[in-house]
Amino acid sequence: MMTTDNENNFISRVKRALKVPAKDNRQYRHLFPNPPKEAVQSVLKRIENRSVEQRQELLHQLIEAGKPINLNVIAKKDVYAVAAAIAGLVQENEPEWGHAKQVAVWKHPLIDRLKLADALAPQDVAVHETDFADPETETDGRNRIRKQIIDAFIGVTSADYCVADSATLVMKTQPRLARTVSLVPTIHIAVIKIDQIIADLKELYTLLKHDPDYDRQGITNCLTFISGPSKTADIEAVMVHGAHGPRELHLFVIIGGESSGRAKK
Amino acid sequence: MAEIKTEYYRQEARKALKNKVLHAALAGLQERLGKGAAAAYRALPEGPGLRYEAHKMRMQAIDHLDILLETLADRICKNGGQVFFADTGEDAVEYCLKVARRHQVKRVVKGKSMVTEEIGLNESFEKAGIETVEADLGEYIIQLADEHPSHIIAPAIHKTRKEIGELFARKLGIPFTDDPPTLTQAARKALREKFLSADMGISGCNLACAETGHITTVSNEGNIRMASTLPRVHIAVMGMERVTARLMDHDILFRLLARGAAAQNMATYVSYIGGPRRPGQADGPDEFHLVILDNGRTRILADPEFREILGCIRCAACLNVCPVYAKIGGHAYGFAYSGPIGTVITPLLTGINRARDLCQGETLCGACREACPVDIDLPRMILALRAKLAEGDPAWGVTPAGRMEKGMMTTWSKIISSREYYDRSLKIARLGQKLLPIKNGMIRHLPPPFNGWTQSRDLKPLAAKSFNELWQKKYR
Amino acid sequence: MTAPKPITLFIPCLVDTFFPEVGEAVVRIFQRMGISLSYPSDQTCCGQPAYNSGYRNEALIAATRFIDIFENAETIVCPSGSCVHMVRHHYLELFRNENSYLKRAEKIGAKTFELTEYLVDILQVTDLGAEFNGRITYHDSCHLRYGLEISEQPRRLIEKVHGCRLVEMDESGRCCGFGGSFAVKYPEISTAMLEDKIKSIITLGAGTVVGGDMGCLMNISGMLNRRRQPIEVLHIAQLLASRQPSAKAEGLGFKGPRGQVTEPDKPFLEPLPPGILESFGDVNNQTKVFAPTCRSFGAGR
Repeated sequence: MMTTDNENNFISRVKRALKVPAKDNRQYRHLFPNPPKEAVQSVLKRIENRSVEQRQELLHQLIEAGKPINLNVIAKKDVYAVAAAIAGLVQENEPEWGHAKQVAVWKHPLIDRLKLADALAPQDVAVHETDFADPETETDGRNRIRKQIIDAFIGVTSADYCVADSATLVMKTQPRLARTVSLVPTIHIAVIKIDQIIADLKELYTLLKHDPDYDRQGITNCLTFISGPSKTADIEAVMVHGAHGPRELHLFVIIGGESSGRAKK
Repeated sequence: MAEIKTEYYRQEARKALKNKVLHAALAGLQERLGKGAAAAYRALPEGPGLRYEAHKMRMQAIDHLDILLETLADRICKNGGQVFFADTGEDAVEYCLKVARRHQVKRVVKGKSMVTEEIGLNESFEKAGIETVEADLGEYIIQLADEHPSHIIAPAIHKTRKEIGELFARKLGIPFTDDPPTLTQAARKALREKFLSADMGISGCNLACAETGHITTVSNEGNIRMASTLPRVHIAVMGMERVTARLMDHDILFRLLARGAAAQNMATYVSYIGGPRRPGQADGPDEFHLVILDNGRTRILADPEFREILGCIRCAACLNVCPVYAKIGGHAYGFAYSGPIGTVITPLLTGINRARDLCQGETLCGACREACPVDIDLPRMILALRAKLAEGDPAWGVTPAGRMEKGMMTTWSKIISSREYYDRSLKIARLGQKLLPIKNGMIRHLPPPFNGWTQSRDLKPLAAKSFNELWQKKYR
Repeated sequence: MTAPKPITLFIPCLVDTFFPEVGEAVVRIFQRMGISLSYPSDQTCCGQPAYNSGYRNEALIAATRFIDIFENAETIVCPSGSCVHMVRHHYLELFRNENSYLKRAEKIGAKTFELTEYLVDILQVTDLGAEFNGRITYHDSCHLRYGLEISEQPRRLIEKVHGCRLVEMDESGRCCGFGGSFAVKYPEISTAMLEDKIKSIITLGAGTVVGGDMGCLMNISGMLNRRRQPIEVLHIAQLLASRQPSAKAEGLGFKGPRGQVTEPDKPFLEPLPPGILESFGDVNNQTKVFAPTCRSFGAGR
């Protein structure tokens, strides 16, 4: 453990206040035990073994939970239907900040399959993926991506999970999945598969903690929860959507056959 | 440290008591959020009793702060973040300024945070010539108006849409409007420019998680996500008590926090931040600093009577039910934290004697405790503060507050220590009250120091015979 | 069925000195039930005024005395939420460093009950045969509602009072602004809070406000009187002891319309759980009419 005088002095003062000996070998893990392995396994099993009906039930819960927070949850059969719906949204809406219509999208397997560049080509709308180009330094790439996201009026992302109970999208930060795509454009569109819907925060934290990647990257350097579009009630408690973040949030849930590969009948 | 104006409680309260517009705004807020939170607790699958579990969890964390803070700091450093432990508000501000100077920062955007209000960060940054822009809409309004927040999560609740419309017309040069969506849009546009051009973002911190090594930030507007993602440098300032042990603890705490604060199931945005951008990532700050602040908190930690207050997660649920806050608003409390939480934390952070009115200006009704998502016994600590004021306490540097009151209480304790004295005093008082103006059998005016009662109320005189006398005569 | 325990009365100083009629009402309630009462006549005050202002040494004098006096009681009943809250909860804080008294305080706290709590939870009685004509609203005193979590019990008792209707005011659980010395130290804030309370009472159009703590009721009636509002204020004990729907009978000065006098001597303890009734003796023969104390404080307006 790297410690500095700054930290040592501070922590010793805290120890004195707590009246614990300066040389104290307590470890927080012993003080805050994690739930027994079987309990964790049963939660993970429950999530994995959800039937198609149970998944649909969660989808309904999600749709209901989304209503009061203006999260527009739309179930779609497959990626083609989603792409068409997104093309519709691109067509219907005008850019807020006066740029030409541009869309920023995650470089993500599910989003790739939407083939948005093709879907939006008829409207002559540029689709920018948040991925570094091949001959490009990271700094240049970052500057380019930042500018493209700022200029985009719609941002398209996926998510790692979606919590039905509170209508919360959960996103880990990874290369190619820029955080600002879900934040800076006027409209945020998220696309997930139905088996990414989980019941509640308890399931979420259990999944995050027992992800095979946890040992390598933890919950990542920035884990984001999004429950609906940006909102404020700071002027006379009147609710207004689109304070700083997106004004609208559309969540497409793909329910078609290929999406429920993990679900069992 | 921010300016402390707790001595002006009475004056500020009197001003607010005349402000009917403020009362209407606060009544609306309490109706919506206060009652909404209570309903939301009841609707929890676990019921409102979940608050007791949250309390236990918070206190367990507070009792192990040393380990949790070490663990948190260690993990954040391992993930490329930098952690600074600040003993005082000045230390924290100085560190932030040092980082800002190193990066030649000209403009800072701030996510909504009460702890930076506590340490007076904005004033110091402005003095250093660094533009510091509050990004939460309410805070932005307050900053433009050169005022202080009057509510922990609804800082501009005391301002009307008309006032805000005039303010924006003057400061932003837009045509006057009092339409909240139009005004919000104007602020959105002005602040977007600031976000995109800021060199540094500063935020507070809602909860931290030792197990994973993250702080969390919570907002509905997205201001904190903007401030922690777009600029090159992000500094988060955290009161040292905010850390929790396990990730799973956040299940209960976030559900309760969102319900207590705004009767929501979940805030719009929650971010777990554990370090700067990693190689290969397209955005996020190059540097992440966490400033862990003491500023008087270890002194609270060391006192078993007040340690409990460190369990607070600053959700403002207590403000949304407090009948006194509803009448005097937030400014009367004279410091960053208003309402019931302010009456306890402010005296402890800024001096008990000078904040004596905060300690005494409550009815001890207990609504705050029932509303608290982590079941903090605020009334108990208000009473403990009053005890310090009554008797003085060198450990807290408190001198006894009122010699006259002490004298009265000593006399009272003599009277009640024997039924004989008590009855004799009662007789004298009955004689004495004959001197008072009585109309229709009611006392209309009392002499000082009791005249406050008869400002707006009559008082029934003492009965001709006490119950004790009646019992002896009739029922024994 | 065992007979109810004899009750030792704990009469708060405010009731003792300003509102003895409330104490008398409590006596009548239990006498009618045939429960034996005692009243330690050397009692004075539980110490709450000092404790709430922070004067713990002074409060300790009162609390120690209270324990010495009441220690041998089997059951202690008190017509005040805040005084019971003091004994049950604050004594533990007060004596936390005095082990011998702490144990005694714990024991006393466990056998001290607020009036409505004792009637409903312990005796399991809700219909006391009380009669009262009119619309009644109930104010939840804070220490009852938040401190002792008593809010259902008084309502169940009021609902069983013959001839009256319980109507709920807006935010009955909101503090009236009394707060002991708060009302005197911060009169402007207290007044603003009280005005809200008075407004919800007046808007409701109820003729009578009932509560379980004389502090709050003194506050509420103080402003009603000052503003010449013809609304009467009663302690719940007075309501429950009331056997005549008309206040005129007592001639306490209430001049408003009160409805007609009804037969006072009908069975007043039904429906009781079987068994309890037996232990009270022949209740139907207890026809002595007790004077109601309507329009309790503030003789004129």
